[in-house]
Amino acid sequence: MRDAADVRRRLDDHDYLADIGLSTALYLSLELGLPLLLEGEPGVGKTAAAKVLAQALDVPLIRLQCYEGLTAAEALYDWNHQRQLMAIRLSEARHEKLAEADLFSEEYLQERPILRCVRYAGPHPPVLLIDEIDRADDQFEALLLEFLGESSVTVPELGTFHAASPPVVVLTSNRSRDLHDALRRRCLYHWIDYPSPERVVEILRRTVPSAHVSLIASAARFVGHLRTLEVEKAPGISEAINWVAALSVLGATELVREDVLATLGALAKTPDDRDLVAAAVSDHAFG
Amino acid sequence: MAPSASAVLSPVDRAALAAALGDRLRRRGMPVTLTSLATFTRALEAAPPDDVESLYWTARVTLAGRADDLAIFDAVFDAVFRDAAMPVEGRRQRPPVDTGSPADVWAGLDAASGVDLPGQGLPWHTLPPVVSCDDDPPGGTAVPERLPSALAALATTPFEELDEADLARLGAWLEGALVRWPTRPTRRRRVHPHGERIALRETIARSRRTGWETMALTRTRATRQARPVVMLADVSQSMQPYATAYLHLMRAFARGGSAETFVFSTELTRVTLALRHRSAAEAVAGATRLAPDRYGGTHLAASLQALLRSRHGNTLRGSIVVIASDGWDADEPEALAAAMRRVHRRAHRVIWLNPRAAAPGFAPLVGSMAAALPYCDDFLPGDTLQRLRQVIDAIVDA
Repeated sequence: MRDAADVRRRLDDHDYLADIGLSTALYLSLELGLPLLLEGEPGVGKTAAAKVLAQALDVPLIRLQCYEGLTAAEALYDWNHQRQLMAIRLSEARHEKLAEADLFSEEYLQERPILRCVRYAGPHPPVLLIDEIDRADDQFEALLLEFLGESSVTVPELGTFHAASPPVVVLTSNRSRDLHDALRRRCLYHWIDYPSPERVVEILRRTVPSAHVSLIASAARFVGHLRTLEVEKAPGISEAINWVAALSVLGATELVREDVLATLGALAKTPDDRDLVAAAVSDHAFG
Repeated sequence: MAPSASAVLSPVDRAALAAALGDRLRRRGMPVTLTSLATFTRALEAAPPDDVESLYWTARVTLAGRADDLAIFDAVFDAVFRDAAMPVEGRRQRPPVDTGSPADVWAGLDAASGVDLPGQGLPWHTLPPVVSCDDDPPGGTAVPERLPSALAALATTPFEELDEADLARLGAWLEGALVRWPTRPTRRRRVHPHGERIALRETIARSRRTGWETMALTRTRATRQARPVVMLADVSQSMQPYATAYLHLMRAFARGGSAETFVFSTELTRVTLALRHRSAAEAVAGATRLAPDRYGGTHLAASLQALLRSRHGNTLRGSIVVIASDGWDADEPEALAAAMRRVHRRAHRVIWLNPRAAAPGFAPLVGSMAAALPYCDDFLPGDTLQRLRQVIDAIVDA
């Protein structure tokens, strides 16, 4: 990729409309070999950005979903203990002497996503998506520091693995917890805002090509209106896409009250929100 | 350095530019590390910006590390690169509170820290106007007694009858009273003799001592982690006699662990950072300055909604929520019930402190209190030192 505009164009080819901020962030991340930390409200396309980047670069996407209690054994590497036990029994049966180096060799090493990225053999490095890092605990953040800083993983029994070329790393966070400064320091940072109404229309046109043009315009306006109300879960872009897709499946070409009520489940995710959206439908002037 | 094609920055020393911009940002209170400045300089070389817009994104992606910094960053960037023609001589006269104006970038540290909110300098409340204890540390030269005996007399005195010195002593005692912290089990495991799950890795590592023959099994069990605590205190007119005591209670939790603390009257104000100050008097005064609406009316439901909407709303998940209020609310009881329902669904336990509940014959007849009660796990009076002790136990054992 030559520059930020090129990144933008290539993502555009894969139906992801990035603004100049995101494309600059992705370009710099590729060019400088630094991980990119994406934050933003739920449903603004953080995870989608990483997926599309992998498609645009034509490299595999390796995904690590974070959760509390995630350890090195699930994220970095693990030893194949069953095979180790077998090897011990076998060597007993054959009356051989077993050294520690025999048991802790690469043969018994199980790669987990991060080590797989570091040892990836292809011509171009893969994209590693570390999704919802805020769901993991801070001990896990500390585990990541060596990899994010040096693109290497140290296995105490074997030594340090270095990546031939640093993998493209995208971290996403919903800000349910404040990340440690040590992690932020090693990353580029980009905050994805909810896009402007015009861009929402563009995105919807691209992602739901079957939907009618006037339906998309009024749906985008209605979602924008909902975001100004006091809803518990403000609809993001992904909700808007699902909703327009649902309306389009029902054959709607205009935003009609009955259709909106029938597809409420795609927009409102709590009972209170459902009532609020239903009330907003009555107040909202369609057309 | 390679000759750059940049139209904007070609004659500029990039390192000097980065350092100067970093310095501006730091002076406005945004943390800028040396690493990020180096990254910024590398980025300028890797992608020479063609216009101010691309320079903006290059700088923002590399320098601003968190969403809270973006407002400062935008203000500084606009001031430096977008409104370059600025009247320099007028800078000190600008009101420093107006963060929207690009000019206050130039106002420097001393002016920015002098942000005045209405009511600054007043003590938190105006009970007996005796000597201010702000200057003397509690338990200083004037009070030679040891704390426990001095406190013994206060143990059953309602807070509204305490004077400022008593409250300071109460704060000092509260600081030491919190020795445990509520915990919750995590999914993380640690080796423990009473563990219930066999840890293969540790077991094999241990069998090395016995010629790879497994003699003893190593087991793990789940570790426990501090449970989040969120505390809200009502500082409206009707709660005035109790406000300082509850602030001291919240300070003990804000300092002793990682409690998030808020005060509310007509609106919600986060006071966690102010309350963490090491001097009790300073902490309470700092919290005072932050709440411009203290001793006004109460918008309890609106304040809870604001908390749920804010980014601290997620802190409520699995937490212990402590609300100190008499339940006199100007909002509709239905609104409070709706807000409490949501709080109750997110929280592990909801504890309500109502100092008026200690009065003989008390019944929650106020509409809002009656609406909120079904969603409270505990309802405690908490109007004296002795009862505050029970409150702390209730929180820690929750």
